[in-house]
Amino acid sequence: MAGDARTNRLGGARLFDWVDATLVSVCLVSVGLVVLGGLVQVSFGTYTMTLEQAWRAVLDPIVLFDPHWLLNFFVGEGLMRTLTGFEGTLTELPTTTLVVWNIRLPRVLVGILVGANLAVSGAIFQAVTRNELASPYILGVSSGAGLAILLTLVVFSGLAPFLPLIAAGGGAVAFLIVYGIAWQNGTSPVRLVLAGVIVSTIFQSLQTGLFFFANDLAVVQSAIAWTTGSLTGVDWQQVRLALPSTTLAVALAVLGARQLNVLLLGEQTARSLGMSVERTRFLLSGVAILAASAAIAVAGIVGFVGLIVPHVVRNLVGSDYKRLVVGCLFVGPALMVLADVGARLAMAPTQIPVGIVTGLVGGPYFLYLMRRQQNLGDV
Amino acid sequence: MSESNHENDHERIERARNGEADDASALVGDGLTLSYSTSERPVVECDRIDIPRGEITALVGPNGSGKSTLLKALSKQLAPDTGRVLLDGRAVHEYDDKEFARELGLLSQENESPGSITVEELVYHGRYPHRGFFEQVGEADHRAVERAIELAGVDHLREQTVGNLSGGQKQLAWIAMVLAQDTDVLLLDEPTTYLDLHHQLRVMETVQQLNERRGVTVAVVLHDIAQAARFADYLVALQDGEVYDWGPPREVVTEELLADVFRVEAAVSYTPDPEIVPKHSL
Repeated sequence: MAGDARTNRLGGARLFDWVDATLVSVCLVSVGLVVLGGLVQVSFGTYTMTLEQAWRAVLDPIVLFDPHWLLNFFVGEGLMRTLTGFEGTLTELPTTTLVVWNIRLPRVLVGILVGANLAVSGAIFQAVTRNELASPYILGVSSGAGLAILLTLVVFSGLAPFLPLIAAGGGAVAFLIVYGIAWQNGTSPVRLVLAGVIVSTIFQSLQTGLFFFANDLAVVQSAIAWTTGSLTGVDWQQVRLALPSTTLAVALAVLGARQLNVLLLGEQTARSLGMSVERTRFLLSGVAILAASAAIAVAGIVGFVGLIVPHVVRNLVGSDYKRLVVGCLFVGPALMVLADVGARLAMAPTQIPVGIVTGLVGGPYFLYLMRRQQNLGDV
Repeated sequence: MSESNHENDHERIERARNGEADDASALVGDGLTLSYSTSERPVVECDRIDIPRGEITALVGPNGSGKSTLLKALSKQLAPDTGRVLLDGRAVHEYDDKEFARELGLLSQENESPGSITVEELVYHGRYPHRGFFEQVGEADHRAVERAIELAGVDHLREQTVGNLSGGQKQLAWIAMVLAQDTDVLLLDEPTTYLDLHHQLRVMETVQQLNERRGVTVAVVLHDIAQAARFADYLVALQDGEVYDWGPPREVVTEELLADVFRVEAAVSYTPDPEIVPKHSL
């Protein structure tokens, strides 16, 4: 199968000649898993329906062929009316369709967006730090976001409506601090990671300290849900919040794949090939932060996805970042959607944060990788 | 290059060194003081170094004499404390990064790459400076890569992953990558160290062919002074960060140089290849 791809490379279509059979199968299997997980998600719940009913509801032509309904979901009713100039009332939906489209489907979509963002973000950070153990949170992002969340919930509770944006901003600020500390006539992967660890430790202490000032169990639970990552209660608003930055981050990551590949050749080689290493590293980190922020803003800090997924994909399709980034775009959502099935349905009616499931699945898988691979750590 | 031509170049560069404008040197280091942020004293202090155009110049000297540091400065990897480096008469810091990489290629001493990429993919990375951000691989890229692969003799390895190559094969693959960069000037930092004899010769022959066929200016750091004398048109001998001597091998490689710079008592003879035989054990 690799042979076919190579022959193709020497021939015509060069735009996609890096696509090989393995990558295509990885993507197809992932899509299958997302569809399966998504169907389970939309059929089970307080209003239970059969898989067939659920399938029909997802593909309900009333929604799919009505741009008003689609826009209503994806951009919100207000914007839909402005865009289309539509003044009437929307067609009535059957109950199953309403339940599926209004309540259950957005959660699946948010899972897809979060999974893709975290996986791509992790893949970028692994190239930037040239460390396979890097995750979207390695450069202080999770602790920055966590601290911002706690500060908002405990100290500045008036700002709670802006929590998603504040969390994402906290992550970005922490990243800038880390970069500033690591900068000494330029940065190096090792200094970046070390600065990340130090900043994380400090922010984590502050964050834990703030828990003591929470005077309300609900606040603590909300804080825990945010800091472990949860998709409970997400709806179309979260889809709308994450979609634009996800699209942008993903497009930039795909475009930046070649830069990432050259970065993997080492700083010196990259520079002798004419790359402005510092600028490229910073901009790519920015893309990764954008992706991670989009995920944090809607789901909180979901662990392990950004670490595990690039790993799995690298084992399957190799370390060429064109293939790796695309693979991550599919495998990330698959893992996230399946983990959320577990989070929502395993302990029903109690829902657990999805971050707990990804941790429980990701941790052991990572240990397995560690024992199997001799040279873990080198990209 | 014939012997008489060498003499001409030599004279021309001597003239250029005296301040007369001349383009016999592709690369010039002028009044360089080089140091690392970790070192207190400058590693290299060198009034003037010339890399003659269209020739192979070997930088030789004992460990710690500043060969690699000098090469870093010449290749814009290390900014000099004082002095400047001129490529084709223009200061290197005036070049845009990619523009510079289209003129001058550098192969570092140690190279790392993901083990899972193929030799061909590695060689394609050499085209980086020739491609814009959104540009796809074009016909020129294909040609340059094919030529580089052929010149470095790694055609049979192109589908292999870099991680599965031997040290010598890996070095040839990396050389193919800098060749794909298609530059007029090529700097190589100890390309033959750690290689077996066969691969040492393969590397040096590749460099020689590149120089002869395409007129590429080469500067190469070599450990083996006999090898340097055999392959290079010019030698630059460094000692303690300063240029000790400069010129064609026969003039530079003398018993005096070996004694002064390398602290070796040895007999030098040309048969016609240079031979260096230590007179007694150290």
